[in-house]
Amino acid sequence: MTVRLSRQQVLHATRAGWYLFEPPAAIAAALPLTRRTFLRVSAAGSGGLLVLVATRDLVSASAGAVADAPFQPHALIRIDVDDAVTIWASNPDMGEGTKTSLPMLVAEELDADWTRVRLENAPLDRRYGGQGVGGSDAIASAWLHHRQAGAVGRHLLVAAAAAQWGVAADVCSTSRGVVRHDASGRTATYGSLAARAAELTPPASAALKDASRFTLIGTRVPGRDVAAIVRGLPLFGLDVRKPGMQYAAVAKSPVFARRAVRVDATRAMAVPGVARVVEIAGLPNPTHLIPGVAVVADSTWTALKARDLLDIEWEPSPFADESTASLRAQAAERLSAPPEVLHNSGNVDTALASARHVVDATYECAFVAHATLEPHNCTADVRDGECWIEGPLQMPASGRQVVAAAIGLAPEKVHVMSSRIGGGFGRRLMSDYAAEAAVVSKAMGAPVQVVDSRSGDLQHDYYRPFAVQRLRAGVDAQGRVVAWDHTLATCSRNAYRLDTRPPSSTELYGSYVGRVKTVQELDPDLVPTHIPNARLRYAALSTGVPTGAWRAPSHMAIAFAVETMLDEMAAKAGRSPVDLRLDFLGDTADVPSSAEGYTYDPARMRAVIREAAERGGIGGRAAAGRGRGFASHFTFGSYCAQVAEVSVDASKRVTVHKVTAVIDCGQPVNLLGVEAQVEGGIIDALGTAFYAEVPIARGRATVANFDTYRLIRHREAPRLVEVHVMPSRRTPTGTGEIPLPPVAPAIANAIAALTGTRLRQTPFSRDGWSLA
Amino acid sequence: MANFELLVNGERRAVDVAPDTPLLWVLRDAIGLVGTKFGCGQALCGACTVHVDGRARRSCTLPVSQLGTAAVTTIEGLSRDGSHPVQRAWVEIDVPQCGWCQAGQIMSTAALLAERPDPTDAEIGTALNGNLCRCGTYTRIRRAVQRAAELTRADGRAR
Ligand code: FES
Ligand code: FES
Repeated sequence: MTVRLSRQQVLHATRAGWYLFEPPAAIAAALPLTRRTFLRVSAAGSGGLLVLVATRDLVSASAGAVADAPFQPHALIRIDVDDAVTIWASNPDMGEGTKTSLPMLVAEELDADWTRVRLENAPLDRRYGGQGVGGSDAIASAWLHHRQAGAVGRHLLVAAAAAQWGVAADVCSTSRGVVRHDASGRTATYGSLAARAAELTPPASAALKDASRFTLIGTRVPGRDVAAIVRGLPLFGLDVRKPGMQYAAVAKSPVFARRAVRVDATRAMAVPGVARVVEIAGLPNPTHLIPGVAVVADSTWTALKARDLLDIEWEPSPFADESTASLRAQAAERLSAPPEVLHNSGNVDTALASARHVVDATYECAFVAHATLEPHNCTADVRDGECWIEGPLQMPASGRQVVAAAIGLAPEKVHVMSSRIGGGFGRRLMSDYAAEAAVVSKAMGAPVQVVDSRSGDLQHDYYRPFAVQRLRAGVDAQGRVVAWDHTLATCSRNAYRLDTRPPSSTELYGSYVGRVKTVQELDPDLVPTHIPNARLRYAALSTGVPTGAWRAPSHMAIAFAVETMLDEMAAKAGRSPVDLRLDFLGDTADVPSSAEGYTYDPARMRAVIREAAERGGIGGRAAAGRGRGFASHFTFGSYCAQVAEVSVDASKRVTVHKVTAVIDCGQPVNLLGVEAQVEGGIIDALGTAFYAEVPIARGRATVANFDTYRLIRHREAPRLVEVHVMPSRRTPTGTGEIPLPPVAPAIANAIAALTGTRLRQTPFSRDGWSLA
Repeated sequence: MANFELLVNGERRAVDVAPDTPLLWVLRDAIGLVGTKFGCGQALCGACTVHVDGRARRSCTLPVSQLGTAAVTTIEGLSRDGSHPVQRAWVEIDVPQCGWCQAGQIMSTAALLAERPDPTDAEIGTALNGNLCRCGTYTRIRRAVQRAAELTRADGRAR
C-alpha cells in the first residue's frame, strides 16, 4: 500500500512509528487506511499529541517484520529490536546547539553509539522535562535530568543482559550500544535486550558516570541538523506547509501597540487571492499579543502586498510624540534624582571628594532589535475545539498559555511543536506570533501561517531597552578604586510586561535586586566587592516603546559602562587594567550573586582574566599602529574575559585583527558548540556595538530593513577569533550569552589605548566609527 | 494570475501566480521548495540566493515574469544528496548555527567557486559580503569556503 505524506509529515516519521503533529482529521485525510494496516492511535501524554505507531512497512517497504514492543525506559529514549536508538531532542534549537548537546547527555549515560543515534524533535509534553531555552541555562537545567534518563536506560539494559546470562550486573560493562560480560566475553546488543528490558521496572534513579569516564561529553561533536540544513530540508517554522494552509500578514499600529478604530479593507480585498481580513484584539499584557489587522491570502506574497493596502486609523497614543531625544532628556532628569537606592555603603560623596583621580562619565545604549534572520512567523491549526501550533517558539510552555488565552481554549487543548528556530537572541521568548496565528486560524477554520516582512519585524519588536548610565568613580594615590557611584535610567522590561516587581528587577542582572542586604550580595562585577564606598541607584523611564530580553539582557549596557570605567581608572592610576581588576576580586569564594542560584567564584574569574591577559598579550607590546583592550564579565553563571586587538584609520574605520576569548562554563558538553557560541557571540556583539540602533521618532521605530538597520558583514568580522575553553569538571553553565558583554568594552578600551578617545555610547557609529 | 513555466532544478514546473510574484515566493509557496529562505525581501541579506543560469541571484526581487526560460537552481538542486563540495565543506567545518542564512551562503559560494576555483580572501569577501549571518558564523564560513575550494580541486583531479 502507499501512503502519501507531505514533506513536513515525513520529517516527524520515526523508524517504527510516525509522530504526526497534525489534527486527527488531517491525518485521516492523508492516510488511506486499509485493513492490512495496523494502527494504534492514542492521545499520549499531557500534550494530547496524536501518536501513531504503525507497522514498519508503512514507512519502508523493505523493512523487516513488525517490531516487537520497543524499549522506552524514559520519554526521551526508545530502543528498537533492530538496535536503532532514538533520542528525543526535547528543547528547541535556535543555533545554540541544544538539539545536539542535550541528546549527548542522554547518549553519554546510555552508552549508545552516538553515530547511530536518531534524533526526533519532541512536542511540548511534561514527560520530557523543562522544554524552554533561555538565560543560557538549557544545558544546566538538563544536566541531571537527561543524564538520569540515559543512566536508567543503561541500568535496565545491563540488568536484562545479566539476567539472560545468569551473572551479576556489576560484572557487565557497556559501550557503544553493546552490553558485555567481561569474564566470558559474551556480548548482547541493546536491541536484542529491548524486549527483556521493557519488562523490568525502571528504578527511580541510577548511578551517573564519573566525569573521568565521559567519552562523548567534552568532545567536539558536529551539529546534528547540519546535514539537513546544507541541503535546504524543511526544518524551520516558516517551512511548515499544511494541506489547505493559508498565509496571513498582520498590520500593526506604527505608534506602538494601538488598536484599530477604523479599517477600510477595500483595496486589500481587491487583490486576487485575498480571502479575508481578520482583526486581532490583543491581550492585556502587550508582551502576549499586540493588536493588529490580518490579511489572509493564498500566498505569502499576496498577504504581504495586500497588508500594505489596508487603510487603518489607529487609536491615539499618549506616546505619539516620543523620540530618542525625548527619552534622553527624560533620562538626564531622572539621573539627577533617581527614586530607587539599591545600595549605599560607606560615604560615596566624601570618598569622591578626597580621591586622587575622579572620572565622571555618562553612557548611553540605544534600543536594539533582535532581527532574527528568520522573520516573525508561526503556523496554527485551530479546529474542533483544539489548536495545533508549530513554529519558532523558544518557550513552548508559555506559548501554550498565551495561545490558550488568545483564543479562549483550555491550555491542554493547545498542542505545541517547536521547530528549529532561525535565530532567537531573546525575541522568541515571546509567543505573540503564535497567538496571532491562532486567532487568525480560528477565524478561518483552516491552518494559517502568519508571516511578517522584515520591516514589520523590525518596527514591532520588543527592543533591548534604551539605557543611560552615569558612573562616577575615584582612585586613591595607591591606585585603588575607593569610590563608585553608579546610577541607571533605563526603559524597564519588567514595567513593560506589567510585572509587579520593581522596575529595576530586569535591568540589573536579573532578579537579585530587592534582596540586597550587603555589598557582597550584589553582582560582584557591578559593584566590586572591595570598594569601600559604593552607591547604586535606579530610575525607570516612562515610555511606550515595547521592550524585551535581548541576548545577555542588561549585562550588555552595564558591562559596557563598568568595564570601560575600570579601564579608565587604571589609566588614570597608571596601572595595568588587569592588575586593577584582580585587586577587586578579593578572596571571597562563592558569593551568592543572583536569585537564579548561580554562584560567583572570584577564583574562577581570576583564572579566566589571567589566562586571557596572557593569551591576548596584555602587558606586552602590540605591533606598531595597533592597540589592545581588555574586558571581562560574569554572565548567567559563566566567566569570560577578552582581549581585542585593533587598528584605526583616519576616518575612524576600525580593523579588528584579533579577539582572544577565554571562557569558563564549567564542564564543556560539546566543545565544538561552545567554540561556535563564543565565535558567533563575539561577532554578534561586535556588529551590535558598532551599528545596532532603532531610533524612535514620533512614537515609532524609524528603521525599515537591513539598509537602515545595519548588521555586521563578512568583511567586517574579526580577522581572527581565538577561543580558549577552560578545562573544568564543574556542573556546566551556559555559553549562548556569555561571550557578548565583554566585546563592546574591550573594543572601546582598545580604541582608547590607541587614540586616547573614550567611547561612551553604543552604537559606536553615532560618533562616526565603523568597522573596516 | 497568470501561468508560467519554469525550469527549476532541471524539472519543468507550471505555476499560476500573480506576475509580480518574486521567484522566492513561487519557489516556497507555489512549488513547495522551502530551502530558499526569506530574510529581507529587498536584496539586502542574501538568504534567498539561487542560481539563475549559473549566476547567484537574489530571488526575493526577481519577478517570475522576468525569468523567461532561464534555468533556476536552488539549494535542493545543488546536489541530490548533499555531496556538492560546498555542502561537504560546510558539514566538515560545522558552519551553521541557526542555519537560516546558510542556503544563501552556500549558493553564493558555489557560484563563486564555479567562476573562481581558487579565490583569494578578497574575492571571498566580495562574493559573500552581501550574505548576512545574524549568528556570526563568518569566521567558519571563511574556512569552509577555502575547504570547499580544496575539495572542488580534488574532485576535478579525481575526474
Ligand atoms: S530575502 Fe532576498 S536578499 Fe534578503
Ligand atoms: S546561521 Fe543563523 S543567520 Fe547564519
